[in-house]
Amino acid sequence: MLSSYLFLQLVCIALFIYGIRLMNSPETAVGGNLIGALGMAGATIMTMLEAEVLTVGTVWAGLLVGSALGVWLASAVKMIQMPQMVALFNGFGGAASFMVATLTALQGGLNTFALFTSGLAIVVGGVTFSGSLVAAAKLHGLMKQRPVHLKGHNTYLWVSGFVMVLAVIGMTFQIGTPGLHAALLIIFSHLFGCVFTIRVGGADMPITISLLNSFSGVAGSVAGFALPNGALLVVVGSIVGASGLILTQIMCRAMNRTLLDILLGRTTVLPGSAAQTGSQAPLEPAPEGAPEPAQPDLPSWQEALCGAEKAAIIPGYGMAVAQAQLQVKQLAELLESRGAEVRFGIHPVAGRMPGHMNVLLAEVDVPYDKLCELDEINAFLEQADLAVIVGANDVVNPAAMEAEGTPIYGMPIIRADLAKNVLVCNYDTKPGYAGVDNSLYKMDKVHLLLGDAKDSLAELIAVLKGGTAERPDGPEQDAAPEESPAALIKAAQRVVIVPGYGMAVAQAQAQVKFLVDLLQSWGKRVEIAVHPVAGRMPGHMNVLMAEVDIPYELLLEMDQINDQFKDVDVVIVVGANDVINPAANTHEGTPIYGMPVLRASEARHVIVYNLDRSPGYSGVENTLYDMDHCIFVPGDAAVTLQALLEELRAAG
Amino acid sequence: MREFVLVLAFVGAALLGHKLISEVPSLLHTPLMSGMNALSGITVVGAITATGLALATGSKLVGFVAIVLAMINVVGGFLVTDRMLRMFKSERGRNS
Repeated sequence: MLSSYLFLQLVCIALFIYGIRLMNSPETAVGGNLIGALGMAGATIMTMLEAEVLTVGTVWAGLLVGSALGVWLASAVKMIQMPQMVALFNGFGGAASFMVATLTALQGGLNTFALFTSGLAIVVGGVTFSGSLVAAAKLHGLMKQRPVHLKGHNTYLWVSGFVMVLAVIGMTFQIGTPGLHAALLIIFSHLFGCVFTIRVGGADMPITISLLNSFSGVAGSVAGFALPNGALLVVVGSIVGASGLILTQIMCRAMNRTLLDILLGRTTVLPGSAAQTGSQAPLEPAPEGAPEPAQPDLPSWQEALCGAEKAAIIPGYGMAVAQAQLQVKQLAELLESRGAEVRFGIHPVAGRMPGHMNVLLAEVDVPYDKLCELDEINAFLEQADLAVIVGANDVVNPAAMEAEGTPIYGMPIIRADLAKNVLVCNYDTKPGYAGVDNSLYKMDKVHLLLGDAKDSLAELIAVLKGGTAERPDGPEQDAAPEESPAALIKAAQRVVIVPGYGMAVAQAQAQVKFLVDLLQSWGKRVEIAVHPVAGRMPGHMNVLMAEVDIPYELLLEMDQINDQFKDVDVVIVVGANDVINPAANTHEGTPIYGMPVLRASEARHVIVYNLDRSPGYSGVENTLYDMDHCIFVPGDAAVTLQALLEELRAAG
Repeated sequence: MREFVLVLAFVGAALLGHKLISEVPSLLHTPLMSGMNALSGITVVGAITATGLALATGSKLVGFVAIVLAMINVVGGFLVTDRMLRMFKSERGRNS
């Protein structure tokens, strides 16, 4: 029995290893994750067999409750909340481990080695649990993000560390009662974890989270030493520990800090004298330079933007705060549509956890081949004519190369300063987390567009859109007629109409019906897409359409039509708003986020006949209206549709 | 002997893990971390074993809580990782 259990443990370990191996590419990673899950299921079941607890209700109840909570958390979490989610999970792992170690230690009959490792596991698990809770609270905004320095901060750490050492010794050599030692370890490890994490500031969280990630693995691993058949725990915990440690190293290197700095709370530097003078000295232009005012050969930012052929976009935590991912993506797409080559520069520590920017950009469907790491983007920037910085500060600060003695000196940065022109969409010009003034801001080729990144980017997008018409090389002749709704509809093969409550208010059903008949008589495929909540009651639109004799075969439900929108030439929206708002897929934190919507925005053209552009019931701006392929016709739908019908009839 | 083997396994796994994880691109570091959250839920194995041992002494409650917490990690971790990984699309994937 024992040998077959050992064999199965090895099979599970092999599954985990293979699963992690597949994580090395986005194409295979989903499969790798599934294989890991399979290994975990196998490990759980066979351990239940081995421990002979298959008939124990407590175990089953624990598994079920835990699974249910896990499913709930995983589906409820929004992408923007991922850092605190990961922190919370780290904490749960640590908590489970210190509980296991406590149970084992109080079991009795353990040898010295097992007692020692149990004590150690309680320490690591307890620190992980309490530290992670503080980190999660900071990330979730329940606690202030800035570092908190208690009076006698280090004394707390030294005292609790000393007590823990004594308690571990006491437990190992069985001096006094094990229960007392366990209690001391639990109390002081929690104190230690809280005090240690409370001193870490928001921007150092990537390091802290990685470290706690590592701890959660180590805690499990060490707890495994004391258990019969603990090999699985030892091995897998150790892998997790190594993983967290690698991430910690990468983060530390990228932030130019040592782990010790973080642990000792040397996280912020006040914008003091050294930083100020240091960063300014090399950059301050000679006073005589002042007489030449705006150099005429330097292009305006509008010109720089429209003329860019190679552009780098550099996002930072500010992008996450402003929730400007979608605008960033639109900017990239607009630049690309003008023939520019666009790359995203991702600094390893941009954001609040490793890979934070990658996740946010992946969420808005930026292809990952465009996300470049430090070396890659710096090579690209040497030839780039434009760098757009979105909410990034320290990671693009050239002071890191020049200003000796400042905290960021020597830190690897994204060399936005190499690009011919730089647009900075940051909230203000205040120094970043490191407290060092950004010398980039003073360069001639840098244009500052301060304020909420979403607004600044909207300005860039507007310039790019407006600029398109000015381009002489565009095929102007056919551009003009194709833009009109009537011409678009005439040229279309397949048309889908999306009615909403606005149609009912405008009583425009008859016009919709005439439109359907007319288009069908021209041999076009016409359908009507009905969102489940369009209107004021279930099936509201269906009733209205039936009333004007539209055959029910033409009425499609959301699931039937949603995958086909990309094959549709023209979508005509009549008084529908929230139910076609793409923000439901992209704008986390808004009331409609996560709501299933008709993916009308995927059609080649969208023509909207709504009363005005104001948000719908949810109060969320409709991002569809601003898209390139969308034409907005304001006014009473019955009137505007009637005009369309007349135009179409005249044309036909 | 048993202790020696376990320590050896610990060191070996750490080295292997180091090798494996170094190959994961920074693109996937967040899903990697949440995947590791899921794997750290392996403590559920320890929790089950410990609960089995503790049945006689009656400290079932601690075992129950440990199983719940570890299981949240396992299930939540794998699901969240899956959710995130599915968002990553290549240009080819996006256009097809």
